[in-house]
Parts: sequence; structure tokens; C-alpha cells
Amino acid sequence: MYPQLTTGAYSQFPLRKQRRTRTVTNMAADGSSIKLADPNAAVTEWQLRYEGLSDTELSNLQQFFAAAEGSLNGFTFLDPAGNLLAWSEDLTNAVWEPGPLLASAGGVTDPFGGNSAFTLTNSGAGAQSVTQTLNVPTGYIYSLSVYVQAAQPTTVTLLLGSISAHATAGPNWTRISVAGSGDPTAASIPFGIELPPGAIGVFGPQVEVQAKPSAYQKSTTGGVYQDARFGDDTFSFATTGVNRHSVTVNIVYANHL
Amino acid sequence: MATFPPLKTGAVAQYPAIKSLRFQNQIVRFVDGNEQRYRDSAGPLHRWVIRLDQLDETELASLEDFFLSNQGSFASFIFIDPWDGTSYPNCSVLSDQLQLISIEELQNTTSVTVTENRG
Repeated sequence: MYPQLTTGAYSQFPLRKQRRTRTVTNMAADGSSIKLADPNAAVTEWQLRYEGLSDTELSNLQQFFAAAEGSLNGFTFLDPAGNLLAWSEDLTNAVWEPGPLLASAGGVTDPFGGNSAFTLTNSGAGAQSVTQTLNVPTGYIYSLSVYVQAAQPTTVTLLLGSISAHATAGPNWTRISVAGSGDPTAASIPFGIELPPGAIGVFGPQVEVQAKPSAYQKSTTGGVYQDARFGDDTFSFATTGVNRHSVTVNIVYANHL
Repeated sequence: MATFPPLKTGAVAQYPAIKSLRFQNQIVRFVDGNEQRYRDSAGPLHRWVIRLDQLDETELASLEDFFLSNQGSFASFIFIDPWDGTSYPNCSVLSDQLQLISIEELQNTTSVTVTENRG
């Protein structure tokens, strides 16, 4: 698992991310073309620049690089600039696990003026939840955030592993959040929202590997990369002062590896 | 068909924005120096270079998601020309590469070139 800094941050600014796909194109003389996509050739790269690292943080990174043997071995990497949840605007997708008495209806006006929000209706007598389980390091700090809205003030519960946080949904869209870590003995963390009998509006669930949520980011593929690798076989750092180091790390994730 | 995603302001481009149009003509040159030119296409194709700065994370993620859902340069979408509002129904991203730079929070930048397709 790629190490977090002691602050709980996963990376620093500036952060570069590059998406590469492969399209085979047959271009005719008149400018028309025939294209063929090659989804397995997609590559995502990150360039993480760290400044002011402590001795401990540098040591953690260095040990992790040595354990991975440079670009040889894969590891789990969490996109520091993305929403870790998949299909954040489709709560009916199979990645979401709804309770048996919970119904999702899309096409609801969202807080950004679109129609990507959902109405969750709990027709049961007890609380029901919709969750998505991520295979991520359980000891890291995560934030879960979501926009909620209800016609009548309704208490909803955010679920982050075994952590439950209550908040009230009212007539206006409100973003609620919770931060914390998962169960250290577990292999994954369920993230979700629980509601009492009735209906609420939900938009933009987001999980990030940091203590506070950033602006909402739509996702389809999610931000958990299970077999990422270092892009280089070299790890070099500069020591700029006592207990201060700077490093640049390149991470690569390729669909075909 | 998908449409190129606008920013929160409703705009699709920022300054400086670049637009070009391209013909596809052929030239046959003769030994005496004369030449004959002819059209090899039905008309010009347009191209737009869209550089976007100071995006927030929502706008950046929207563009990234659009790039991924189009599989880079593969899929076609509708592009509204920001100069005159003309709708071009068969456009695609030119490159299979998208670079996203986060300078700091709410300070993200990227660049996309959109090209009109024929056929």
C-alpha cells in the first residue's frame, strides 16, 4: 500500500495526472477516418512532488520503493486527485449495494443545476442503507461526503466502516461529511448512507484519502488502482535542510498489466 | 450523443482560445512548372484548442470523465463552437492523451483539442 504522509495527506500540490488511451485510426485522403478503440491499452500516470518531507516520511517512501523493487512489483494506489467511489452519479449501478427495502430513482435536480441526483425511498419500518465497499488500506484516513436534501427534516447517517455520523437533511441541498479510518483487521471498508423510513434526495457521494472533502468530483471508474507501479527504477531525493527533503515520484497504472 | 461538457459558468472555453479550419486540397505539378489543384474533400474541417485554467475539482473531474467515457479520441460528440454557437455534430478529442495539473486547491488546469470529423 502506497504510504500516507504523517499529516494524513496522500500527496502535495502541484500534482500532475495524465490519462492515455489508444485509438487505431485509418485516415483517408479526404479527411474521413475509421477508428478502433483499444480499452486495454489505457494508462494513467501521476507525478507526485513532495517538499518539506520529514526524515520519517522520506524513510517510509524509501522503504516502500525498496519493497516494491522500483517498477517491478505492483501495489494499491489511491488517486489523490479523484473520487475513490465508482459510479458516483449512478446509485443503481451494481457497485452499489442497496438495502432490500430501498428504492433509487434518478433524474432528480442536483445542487449544480443538473439532473444527476437520486431519490432514495425507504419503504421499510427500520433504517436502510446503500453502500459501496472499497478494497483500500483500512488504516488510512478517509473522508466521505454527500449532498442530501429532504422535504421534512430527516436524520441521515453516514457510514464509514464501523463509524456512524448523523446529520440532518433539510429542504435545501446540504453537503454532509465524516472522516475516519476503517477497521484495522478488515481487508476493505464499506462507505454509505443510511436513512430512516421515508425519502431523501442524494447527490455526489465522494470518498477521498484525506481528512476533509474537496469539491465534488464525478466518477465512473473510481480511484482505487490495485496494481499500480512506480514509473522508474530510480528513487532520488534532495535534502534541503535539517529534517527537510524533497522527492518526485512517478506512478503508473496500466489496464493491461 | 454526448455533448462537450461546459464549465460551471456555462462556457466551454477560456481565453486564449484557438480555432482553425482545414481544407484537404491536392496539387499535381507538371514538368513545365504548371500545376493543377483540386478539392479532395467536401469542405473544411474545424479544430478548437481549449486551454482551461483555474478550474475547480468538479470541472476538472467532469472533463476527465468525459475523456474517459469517450475513450480518448475514439468516440464522437456534439461540440458547440464558442465563437458563433454553431453545433458540430461529429467531433472528437484529437489526442489520446489528457494532462491534468492541480497547482493547488481550486487551481486546476488542462488543455483539450477538439477536432471535427468527416464520415
